[in-house]
Amino acid sequence: MPAEHSNSMAGRMAATLFIAALVMCAGYAALFIAPEEATMGLIQRIFYFHVAAWSSMFIAFYIAVFANIAYLITRRAKFDWLGLASVEVGVMCCTIGLVTGPIWAHPVWGVWWTWDARLATTFILWLLYISYLLLRGLVDEPQRRAMLSAVFGIFAFLDVPLVYVSNRLWRTTHPQPVILGGDKSGLDPTMGKVLGFCIFAILGVMILVLLDRYRVEKLRHDFDELRFEVESRAADAQSNLAKAKP
Amino acid sequence: MKNFNSLFAAWTAVWAIFFLYEVSVARRVSRLREEIERLKQQLREGS
Amino acid sequence: MTTARAAAIILGKELRLEFRTRELLTATVVFALTVLVLFNFAFDPTAADARRIGPGLLWIAFLFSGSLMLNPSFARERSNDTLDALRMAPVSAFAILLGKMLANFIFMALAEVILVLVFSVLYNVPLAGVAGRLVLVLVLGTAGLVITGTVFSAISAHARMRELLLPLLLLPILAPLLIAAVEATASLLTDPPALDRTWVTFLAGFDIVFLTASWLLCDFLVEE
Repeated sequence: MPAEHSNSMAGRMAATLFIAALVMCAGYAALFIAPEEATMGLIQRIFYFHVAAWSSMFIAFYIAVFANIAYLITRRAKFDWLGLASVEVGVMCCTIGLVTGPIWAHPVWGVWWTWDARLATTFILWLLYISYLLLRGLVDEPQRRAMLSAVFGIFAFLDVPLVYVSNRLWRTTHPQPVILGGDKSGLDPTMGKVLGFCIFAILGVMILVLLDRYRVEKLRHDFDELRFEVESRAADAQSNLAKAKP
Repeated sequence: MKNFNSLFAAWTAVWAIFFLYEVSVARRVSRLREEIERLKQQLREGS
Repeated sequence: MTTARAAAIILGKELRLEFRTRELLTATVVFALTVLVLFNFAFDPTAADARRIGPGLLWIAFLFSGSLMLNPSFARERSNDTLDALRMAPVSAFAILLGKMLANFIFMALAEVILVLVFSVLYNVPLAGVAGRLVLVLVLGTAGLVITGTVFSAISAHARMRELLLPLLLLPILAPLLIAAVEATASLLTDPPALDRTWVTFLAGFDIVFLTASWLLCDFLVEE
């Protein structure tokens, strides 16, 4: 293997180990250091990772819209790769949030789901960005795909605050019988510190996965270029052979 | 331990989703790397 | 040629094209009427029910039939290669988009007027007293639908499965518009009717945000 490759490998190994250690500490903190919540008991501890997943999701989608805008301005393929990677990772984080939410809600509140503003917005977000991925799957030409998904990505991002505001306004006139918690008002300071640590750890995980996903796109690009070169060399060799014949 | 099952289920869900995704990405990375090496080899032999 | 003039010409073309056959308009109206009728079978609403769920029913019908109707906007251009001709003409990308948006608006508006009247009759909901304010809500809501729908029609025209893709892209984006339009319409059916200013402002805001975004990004939508 060439030298630069193994150096970056070492770097990646180190980063992965560091993040893995962070996550284990975060898990320990969430399970043992954080004080037990008065009413909900043990299940409340999932809150740390539930909120951390959603924070990472938002950051991933911010990265995505940045990549979308950058692609439209510069037309450089790497921003398209970044856009795709960050949306996929964001959808994964969103899925984690949407799955852990009901698992937490059911034993505590007796319902699997409530249509409060935050949950409804997250569900719509999930649908919006899945649509982004579906759009990409249905456009075959790479440059057009990059451009169309960048435009859609920007529209989707613009919609997010509108979705949240409309849901909030709506909920003031159609209040929920059960308000899903997660309010940080009156959060015990130790809980707050554990939460911050978990958010940081999960963010690290998200960034690592994002970089890996980005790498897939970059490698795919390198592969296509190499294959093109191999094929054109073969074609050249063929035509030279044909010319050489008397 | 109140609600331990749910905590366990949630924990499993988090890491299952994450691992499934990460493994699929990592596999794609190594497969692409192999293919690229193979093509590079072909180019070296051809020239 | 100014953008306004170019848009007007394109609007004229779209209208002429459609009124030659009127197939799109007819299909849209019939589809929305079908939704109205099916709702009756699904819910069997009393007059009081109809007031309560009527706004939701109407706007769902508009959104669904709109997302079917907006497809041909750009898809038609693509299959006949007329988009290339439009691109080469000395008109700005925004003029093309605007012309189509206005045309789609007119088509949707026509369908909606018919539907609202039919709804009023079928479900015994008198609308005479609030007609003017209702028109305002319809205009603002339809504008949002048509602005985003035309843009996404341009996007999905280049994709496979575009008939399915357009609703898939459009409906999640329109969730806030749906909430706002339904609430604003519902506020007109209360006793006494009182147009909810908050929601009307929200609708206007939605329209402005997406019209501006369309204007900023129009070149990317119409290019080669």
